[in-house]
Amino acid sequence: MKEITLQMQELARELLQKGEVNVVLGWEKGTFWYLSPPAFVDKPEDVERLVYDDYCHHNLSKYLMDYRYQEGKVAVFLKGCDSRAFNILLEDNQLEREKYVLIGIPCPGMKDQEKAKEFGVNGDIPLAKKCQECKYPNPLVYDYFLGDKKAADEAAATKEAKAKEYSDVEQMEKMTSDEKYDFWSSQYERCIRCYACRNVCPACNCRECIFDQSRTGWIGKANNASENQFFALTRAMHVAGRCIECGECERACPMHIPIMLLNKKLIKDINELFGEYDAGVKVDGVLPLGHFDKNDPEEFM
Amino acid sequence: MSVKETSSNWEPKILVFACNWCTYAGADLAGLSRLQYPPNIRILRVPCSGRVNPQFVLRAFQRGVDGVLVAGCHPGDCHYVTGNYFTRRRFLLMQRLLEYVGLDPERFQARWISGSEGPKFQEVVTKLTEDIKALGPNRKLRDAQ
Repeated sequence: MKEITLQMQELARELLQKGEVNVVLGWEKGTFWYLSPPAFVDKPEDVERLVYDDYCHHNLSKYLMDYRYQEGKVAVFLKGCDSRAFNILLEDNQLEREKYVLIGIPCPGMKDQEKAKEFGVNGDIPLAKKCQECKYPNPLVYDYFLGDKKAADEAAATKEAKAKEYSDVEQMEKMTSDEKYDFWSSQYERCIRCYACRNVCPACNCRECIFDQSRTGWIGKANNASENQFFALTRAMHVAGRCIECGECERACPMHIPIMLLNKKLIKDINELFGEYDAGVKVDGVLPLGHFDKNDPEEFM
Repeated sequence: MSVKETSSNWEPKILVFACNWCTYAGADLAGLSRLQYPPNIRILRVPCSGRVNPQFVLRAFQRGVDGVLVAGCHPGDCHYVTGNYFTRRRFLLMQRLLEYVGLDPERFQARWISGSEGPKFQEVVTKLTEDIKALGPNRKLRDAQ
């Protein structure tokens, strides 16, 4: 990854020096060794800040939303899941493709920050859970590609074969309804409604979120178990069919609520009911809940 | 909810979202034909079953409803041509999601009831009421107040 870091810095310097882009979005080293927050580099001499290591979790595509109405181009580094996020934002007409220079980088999977905190620098730190099940480690859309594309594709192929999706969802489904309810209640009674999961989510790109509206009358602001569950289920339904499984919601959650367990349930059901679908892989305007098929399963007769 | 409510005199409250063009007419026909059905349902008329936002359903459960039925025209019969096809996709998912978070699946149902199906309306509502009576009052997803 050292090599890719150097390539990233070089390309960023070139783009900034030529004036092709106003700013480059990447990652830099944060307060601790296991943190790599986003970096916004707008001067060629600052490119040394850019890094690519095992902790570049942040999905940079969502930050492009802040540059939508600015003039000039923006360059951004995309891992596999970031590129799916970019596609979803294109699909939702939030971004214009021409305004962004996309630099694809292969992703070997990011390491678990919580475990890193626990085990220390020299510990054997496992991959984050979302990365163990990743189907698309390589970017799907890019203008430049850094690193070895062929090796990356081969690595992706072996990973896809290993991906054992939905085992946790299936386990959950087997519980009785009271057990399920107790589980989700205990999770969501911790929710502090900070909306970090929403803010970080590339599928949550409404101009005004319903949870920010104050006069709808049917959305409660109180932080109690019932309102939190309402929030959880509404959020899950709103990103249904557009969740790209980047797992950012779960990472951003300060209360460690397993949000992806809800999202994955919806993805699993969409696959079973309406055919296999991976959000953000193609930009064709066809979203699972945005269209229908006359031969959809019929259970309401 | 009445403060006098006790377990002995409990009767379920069921909210029925009825589409204006089919199910509402079906319910009307059931009434005109003097078909008997339990008085536990509250009908809420919506322009189309596609109007029913999943949040309406959640809000109903929050505010003390024991069961929800969403009913509309049969697929292909929608007054707005395609509304109920979207409803079908949305509520197939919603049903599974509610079951996944622990709500009893009987409590949230969707049905196609046309304007000429008065007897079907009677039958669906009777069955739903019986099922929910057997389950007892809903405490899940409910706002404590």
